[in-house]
Amino acid sequence: MIKVRGLNKEFIQGQERTHVLKGVDLTVEEGEFVAVMGPSGSGKSTLLQLLGGLDIPTEGDIVINQNKLSIMSEKERTIFRRKYIGFIFQNYQLLPTLTVEENIAFPLHADGSLTKEKNQTILKLLDSVGLKDFGQKRVNLLSGGQQQRVAIARALVNSPSVLLADEPTGNLDRNRAEEILGLISRFNREKNQTIIMVTHDIFAAGFADRIILFKDGVIDQEASRKDEDYAKYLANFMA
Amino acid sequence: MKTMLNIWRISWRNITQNKKRCFISILGIILGISFVTSMLIADKTTNDVFDYYEQMYVADADYWVLSDEHTYSEDDVSSVLASSAVMETLFALDKQAFFELEGNHSPQQRSVRITGVNDQTSSLLKLPVVEGSLDNEGLVIPDTVANLLNKKVGDTIRFTNLGEAEVSAIVEYTQLLASPSDWEGAESTSFRVIAPLDLLREWTEMDNEVSYLRFQTNKAGENLFPSLQKEFRDSHVYIQPVVADDRQSNDIGGMYTFFYLIAGLSMLISGFIVFNLIYTSVMERKKEFAIMKSLGYLQRSVSRLILMEVMLLAFIGTAIGVPLGVWLGDMFMQTFLGVFEFDVVYTLNWKVPVLMAVIIGIIFPIIFSLFPIYTAGKTSVLLALKMTNQSDSSKKQYQFRVVLGIGLFLFLFIDHPVSYVAILASVVLLFPFLLLGLKQICKPIWRICFGYSGSLAAQNLTQQLNRNANTAAILAVGIAVILLLSAVIETAPEGYEKDIRSTYGGDLRVTSETPWSDQDQARLLSYQSVENVELLTEAAPITWENMDGEERQFSVFAVNKEGPKLFDHAEREILYDKLTKEGSILLGERAFTEWGGNVGELISINTPSGEQQLEVIDVVNTSNYSGYTAFMDEDYFHYGFGWGNSFTMLLTLHDGYQAESLRNQLWQDFSSHLAKVEMIEDEIASTTSALSGMNELVLVMLVFIIGLASVGTANTLLMNTLERTAEIGTMRALGFTKQQVRKMIIGEGLLIGLSGVLGGVAAGALLLYFSSKSEFLEGFISFQLPLGNNIVALVAGVSLSLLAAWISSATASKISNISSLKEG
Repeated sequence: MIKVRGLNKEFIQGQERTHVLKGVDLTVEEGEFVAVMGPSGSGKSTLLQLLGGLDIPTEGDIVINQNKLSIMSEKERTIFRRKYIGFIFQNYQLLPTLTVEENIAFPLHADGSLTKEKNQTILKLLDSVGLKDFGQKRVNLLSGGQQQRVAIARALVNSPSVLLADEPTGNLDRNRAEEILGLISRFNREKNQTIIMVTHDIFAAGFADRIILFKDGVIDQEASRKDEDYAKYLANFMA
Repeated sequence: MKTMLNIWRISWRNITQNKKRCFISILGIILGISFVTSMLIADKTTNDVFDYYEQMYVADADYWVLSDEHTYSEDDVSSVLASSAVMETLFALDKQAFFELEGNHSPQQRSVRITGVNDQTSSLLKLPVVEGSLDNEGLVIPDTVANLLNKKVGDTIRFTNLGEAEVSAIVEYTQLLASPSDWEGAESTSFRVIAPLDLLREWTEMDNEVSYLRFQTNKAGENLFPSLQKEFRDSHVYIQPVVADDRQSNDIGGMYTFFYLIAGLSMLISGFIVFNLIYTSVMERKKEFAIMKSLGYLQRSVSRLILMEVMLLAFIGTAIGVPLGVWLGDMFMQTFLGVFEFDVVYTLNWKVPVLMAVIIGIIFPIIFSLFPIYTAGKTSVLLALKMTNQSDSSKKQYQFRVVLGIGLFLFLFIDHPVSYVAILASVVLLFPFLLLGLKQICKPIWRICFGYSGSLAAQNLTQQLNRNANTAAILAVGIAVILLLSAVIETAPEGYEKDIRSTYGGDLRVTSETPWSDQDQARLLSYQSVENVELLTEAAPITWENMDGEERQFSVFAVNKEGPKLFDHAEREILYDKLTKEGSILLGERAFTEWGGNVGELISINTPSGEQQLEVIDVVNTSNYSGYTAFMDEDYFHYGFGWGNSFTMLLTLHDGYQAESLRNQLWQDFSSHLAKVEMIEDEIASTTSALSGMNELVLVMLVFIIGLASVGTANTLLMNTLERTAEIGTMRALGFTKQQVRKMIIGEGLLIGLSGVLGGVAAGALLLYFSSKSEFLEGFISFQLPLGNNIVALVAGVSLSLLAAWISSATASKISNISSLKEG
C-alpha cells in the first residue's frame, strides 16, 4: 500500500522557485493499477520520481509498505528501490553494452542476489515477455517493442511490490503499445503488483483501474473503474 | 561582424557550460605548452651561456698565429706587427709548472699552466674581475683556484723552481682559466693562472718566445690573412681565424634533441586531449549543427564556430602555460647549470622562445582539431536530425586499423630510423585489440576486486573503444619512448665505454708542452708496465667552413695503418688506403653532420699550410671529441697539411698493470714538460658522468609524461561519463549505489591506465630489442630493460590513472538518478 500525505515539491533554479507539487494526498491500494495523467509540467513525473525515491520531497510523507521514504538516507532509498520498486522508462533505458539477459539481471547483480534459482526466473520472464530466444542478443539489435519488453522483464526480475512506469508506450505504435500494456496488466493481475503509470495517452490509461488527472501540481480529478460513471468519464476525457 | 560576434558568444557559452571537461583540456594544453616553453627557453639560454663564454674566450681577436712546436720567436711574426691592418696584438706564452703548497698533494694535483700575457687589460683578452685589478704586475687567478688555495688579492703564490708573485686579481670563470674546483678534479686536470709575460719569461728564461699571438685587424685584415697564410706556409708557425666553437668539449645540441623529443611527446598528448574534447563536443552537437545549417548557416560558419572554441581553449591554455613555462625554464636552468663546477651567470632568454611558444600553443591545438572542425562543418542536416547509426563505418574503421597496424608493425624487420615511428604508430592502431584482450583477462579479476561494478567496467570499455584505446595508446607511446630513452641512457655508458676503449688508441695519453723526442719515447717504453708507446699526432686548433659558409674549429688527427686505432669503420683497413690519396680526409660523425655535405664533396680547411679543399672520403665512428674531429693520412699530414710534431704519446700497458701508479711515476719523471696525463678511465668517467644525472631527469620526465597522459585519461573518462549520463542515471534508478557507480568508473580508468602501462612497457621492450639488433646503431644499445624505470612507470601509471579515475568517478556518482527519466 502506498500512502502519500501533504506532498510538496519545489525546484529552485537561481532566483526562481517552481512549486511543482502542491500538497498532494494519495492512497494506492496493494495490487491497484493507477494511471496518472495531465498536461506537461503538471507534476506527474515528479510524483513518480518521489514515489521511486529518486528524489526527496520538500514537504510531506510517502509511505510504501510501511516504509517512510522521507526519513531514509540516499543509500537506504537506493537499497529500498532495489527491493520494492521496479522502473519502466519511456526510452527503455537498456544498458547498451549488456545482452538481453544481462540487462534483465542487472538489479540482481546490483543487489548481489543473483543465484541459479534467479537465473531460472530470468528465463521464465524472458519466456513470458516473448523473448525466449533473445537472451544472448545485444539489446541494440532489438526493435522498440522488444526493447520495452526487456525493460518490463528487468523491472519485474526482483518481484517488486510496486512498478513505476513513465510513459512506457510513448515511443511505440498502437499495436506495440497494446501488446506492452497487455503485458503490464497481466503482471498486475497475476502477481498482484501495484502499478503507477504516467501517461499522456488515454488509450493507455484505459488499462488502469483508476485514472488520476493532475493539474498545476494538485490532483484535479480522479475516476475509478469501480465508479459507476467511469465509462462516461473516459468518453469525456477522450472527447 | 554581427555573425562573428554571435559565433564567439556560442563558442564561449559552450566552454563555460562544460566547465569540467574544458578545464581538463586546458590543463592538458597548459602542461604541454609550459614544458615546450621551458625547453625552448632553456635551450636558448644555454646557448647564450655557452656563446657568452666562447665570446669571452675569443674576445675582440680576429686571428691568431700559433705553432706546431711549443713556442716560437716574436721575430717570426714581425710581418704581423708591421702590418698597418693590425689594430691590436696580444702575446701569450704557456708554461706548465707546479704550485708550491703546504700539505700532501701529488704533483698532478699541483700541476698548473701559467699563461704569460703582455697586457692583461687588452681587449683581446676578456677577464671578468671580481676582486682586485688587472695591473700587469701580479697574478690573475680564477675564483675556483682562489677558494681552493684560500688565496686573496695581495697573497703570494709560489711556483716550484720558478718563483713567486702576488695575486693582483681574482676573476670569474673563463675558458682560458678553466680550472678544477676540488682536489679530486685536480688529479686529472691542471689549474690555470695568468701572469705578466715579462715575469714568466724571466722565470723560464724564454726570452722573446711566445706560444701564440692574437691580433685584431681593420677591414684590410681580410687580405692580410691569405697573405700571412702564404708567408707562413713552409714555417712552423701558422695562422688561424679565431673561431667561437666549443663543440669538441660539449654536446649540448645532442642533449636538447633529447629534451625536444620529450617536449614533442608532451605536445602530442596535449593535442590528443584537445582532439578528444573537440571531437566529443562535435559528435554531441551534431543535431545543433544540423539545425544551424537548416536555418542557413554555411559549412564554413559551423567549422568556424568550432575553430573559435579551439582558439579560445588554446588562448587560455597558452596564456597560463607560457608564463608557467618561463618559470619552469628558470628552474631547469638553475638545476642544469648547477652541475658545473663554477658559478654560471645566466640571463633568461625568454622573448623569442615565448613568441615561439605562443605560436605553437595556438597552432598546435588547432592542427589537432582540424578533423573535428571539418566533421562539424560537413554535418549532414538530414542524417544528423535522424541521428543515423554509423556502426558500419566503425566496423570499416577497425578493419582499416588492423590492416594498417599490422602493415606498420612489419617495419620491425626493417633496420631504419623511420621504423621507430612506424612501430609506435602500429601500437596506436592496434591498441583497441590489446584493450579488448586485456579486458577479457582482467574481467574476472575486476569482478573479484570491484564486484559487479568491475564486470561492468570491463564491459563499458567497448562502448567508446576507439577513444579509450587512443587514451591508453598515448600513455603507452609516452612510456615506451621514455623507457627507450632511459634504457639508452642506462646502457649508453656501456656503449660509450666500448667506443672509447675501441678508439682511444691505448691506456694512457701523456701530453707534453714540448714535442716528444725519440729519447722520451725510449724512456717511456723502458717502464716495466708499458707494453707499447706510440705517437699521437693531433693538429689543433684547425678551422674549417661548413656548407653554410660558417667557420668552425676542431682537431685533426694523423692516422696510419700501423698506428693506434682512433676510429671505427666496417672497412677501416680500406679507408687507410683511401686516405693515402692526396687531399683526402675522414670526418667523425658529429663533424660530418655539422659540415652538412656529402661523402665525395670537398671541405674547405685552413691548414697550417694554408687553405685547402679536401675530399671527404667517408664518415667514421670515433669517441675522440665525441666525433667532432677529422682524420688524415700521417704522411700527408706532415708534407701536405703542414703539421710536424706530436705532443701526445699513447701508452699501452701490459695486462695486470694499473695506469694510476704509472701516472704518478710519469709526473715525477717528466715534471719539466709534462702537461697532462689522462687515463682511459678518466675519459670514460668524464664522458659517462653527465649521463648519471640524466637518468634522474628522465625519471622526472617519465612521471611528467604519465601525469599528462593521466590528464588525458581523466578527460576521456569524463567524456565517457557525461555521454552516459542517462545510462548511469538508469543504473542508479535500478538500485546501483553511488559507491557502485564510483567503483565502475575507477575500474574503467584503471583498465585504461593498466593497458597503457603494459602496452607502453611492451612497446618499449620491443623498441629496445629492435635497437639492440639494429645494425645502424652498431651495437651501441644492448637489450637491457631498465627495471627501476619500468617499476616507476607501472606505479606512476597505475596510481595516476587511479587518481584520474577517482576524479571522474566523483562526477559520475553525482549524476542525478532522475537523468534516466529525463534523457535517453
